[in-house]
Amino acid sequence: MKAINLYSKGFIAIIMAISLMVGCGSAEEGESASNSEDTITIEIYQGKVEFADQFEALAEKYEENNPNVDIKITSVGGGSDYLGTLKTRFSSGEEPEIFSIAGPSEAEQFEDYLADLSDTEAAGLALEGSLSSVQEGDAVYGLPFNQEGYGLIYNKDVFKQAGIDPREISTYEDLESAVETLDAQKNELGIEEVFAYPAKEKWVGGNHLANVYLAPEFNNNVLEAYNADTVQFNKSDELQKMFDLQTNYSIQPVLSLDYSQQVEEYFSLGQVAMIQQGNWIYPSVEQMDEDFAANNMGIIPIPVEGYEGKLPVGIPNYWAVNNNSNDDVIQASKDFLDWMYTSETGKEAVLSDFNFIPAYEGYDAEKIADPLSKEIYEYSSNGDTIGWVFAGFPSNAWGDIVGANMQKYVGGKMTWEELIQDSIQKWEEGRN
Amino acid sequence: MSNRDLSFWLFLTPVLLGLSLVVIIPFVYGLVYSFTDWDGLTANVFLGLENYINLFKDSEFINALWFTIKFSVVSVILLNILGLVLALLVTRKIQSSNFLRTIFFMPNLIGGLILGFIWQFIFISVFDDIGKALGISALSGWLSTTNTGFWGLVILMCWQMAGYIMIIYIAYLQNIPSELIEAAEIDGANSWQRFRNITFPLVAPAFTISMFLTLSNSFKIYDQNLSLTDGGPFNSTQMVAMEIVRTAFTENEMAYAQAKGIIFFLIVAIIAITQVYYNKKREVDM
Repeated sequence: MKAINLYSKGFIAIIMAISLMVGCGSAEEGESASNSEDTITIEIYQGKVEFADQFEALAEKYEENNPNVDIKITSVGGGSDYLGTLKTRFSSGEEPEIFSIAGPSEAEQFEDYLADLSDTEAAGLALEGSLSSVQEGDAVYGLPFNQEGYGLIYNKDVFKQAGIDPREISTYEDLESAVETLDAQKNELGIEEVFAYPAKEKWVGGNHLANVYLAPEFNNNVLEAYNADTVQFNKSDELQKMFDLQTNYSIQPVLSLDYSQQVEEYFSLGQVAMIQQGNWIYPSVEQMDEDFAANNMGIIPIPVEGYEGKLPVGIPNYWAVNNNSNDDVIQASKDFLDWMYTSETGKEAVLSDFNFIPAYEGYDAEKIADPLSKEIYEYSSNGDTIGWVFAGFPSNAWGDIVGANMQKYVGGKMTWEELIQDSIQKWEEGRN
Repeated sequence: MSNRDLSFWLFLTPVLLGLSLVVIIPFVYGLVYSFTDWDGLTANVFLGLENYINLFKDSEFINALWFTIKFSVVSVILLNILGLVLALLVTRKIQSSNFLRTIFFMPNLIGGLILGFIWQFIFISVFDDIGKALGISALSGWLSTTNTGFWGLVILMCWQMAGYIMIIYIAYLQNIPSELIEAAEIDGANSWQRFRNITFPLVAPAFTISMFLTLSNSFKIYDQNLSLTDGGPFNSTQMVAMEIVRTAFTENEMAYAQAKGIIFFLIVAIIAITQVYYNKKREVDM
């Protein structure tokens, strides 16, 4: 009896162990089956979730026209999470064929995997300067997703009621007097404060605001920032004035104010006159109030001496093609990217489905759907831009360090001089 | 323990396999990587103990560790008191005791991330409105200073976990034989004496379990920290788990973060084991 018992127990245990392994094994079989000879599978791994559905729809259209190509898209969101999961994919051997990278520091980390894209049509049509952070000699290692820009987004109605013409604001002094005018008539205008400054979000101060005053130092060139051993903060006084202006006239306390409160609760509900943000807020505002989003938002540049009327516009993400696959797979990947940015169907989708501000020539600006993007595209096509150098900040998350220092400054734990000193020191540490 | 034959191990195989695949092997990998300059893709240089030496000079990490210790001490004490008080409350013969148990336990069923956002709204908006209406300025500006951030986290933690700890205490409270209480009553013990000399020693095992759970949970807390304060202001309410994640994924120092993780693991393991060992010694067997 005991023997039977033992065998039956052993039998069950073996069955369980086997079924566990089979469970793991069968998934792999399934994958290799679809990988038959004639179809080329392109796996895309990208970090911009906002347009994931529209992107997949476009990929399906491409598959219809090119039956031998199978495109699989994985979109992973949330900034820092993306890079971690991408590395996991690479270390586990499940390398995607196309993936997105943001700026020179990520390009350097993946430099062993980047295929040269200079022979693509899209690379030739990319707007001037848009490739600089992924270029090495003649080789191009990334194709821009789109352009994005930020500045001071204002409430048109409030400005009109207060009798302020946003086009006349170009210097810091202009802005200051406009802010004072607005502040004096808060009650009549029905706003709580002039600004909503989200000091809780380190990137708003440490990356975006600091960028405007640091870019001139690096000639608006990301690579120059990326290769710089130190930082001067020539425009430290201007940065301080602008930061003080935004925090003093903001909803308080700024230290616990975050992005969604800033955009959704305060700006889109008309509680404040201005916020420092970019075109990416459009979908959120649209969800809160469609009419407000379409008619009531305008954008003006953050004033910088010597760079009046220039808006910081940059490329947040690049497409990279993995060179660690067969030549025909690499070619198919390039063809897909080319098709997306240069064919009529692709262009149409980029403009009206993705709501991208195109980073390539040959697009009809009239078709850009949202007013913020349209304004930004105008700045960019007139060449009235300041570069985005924050992708070239040291990889110790230097922008976050500056952002945290700004929080200390607001909280009275640090003077402005200490803030600058510490930030310079952290930059130098990050470069070693 | 005599039946450790073939079938014993065969039955354990699936579990052992799972455990080693997702816990033990990654742990060993991580340990090895912590001695190198691994960046998530390749490890080129063997650094020996350099990561570990740097770590003790890293003020961010030390601050986070110190903040976590303070947070854990306060929340372990408060959680156990609250849990025991709630348990005593709902084991009395009051009508709504079952209803109350459900209510007290409920917060534990909501994910930490969502709880964090709910409490963020309460601290920032609701507290502010109440403060304005009643003229209490202490209720304004919560989460914008280190102190309010700290107490915010403690309140959130207590609110979430007290019900769970309560359940453990209830289980032990209900196991106390009523003869003992009655006998003490006849001997003239008042209710405090009965609690102090009979109930309390007999729920000591629950205390061991609760201490272990609350201690390790408050040490490892991450999601509540992330959604409630996100470390702000100026990273002063950042706890160790969050600091490690930030080092790994924002600052991109995978190997260094791994070394921090190993140290963190050792600290939690040592505290938890000593604590269980001492409490076990004090327990009373019935």
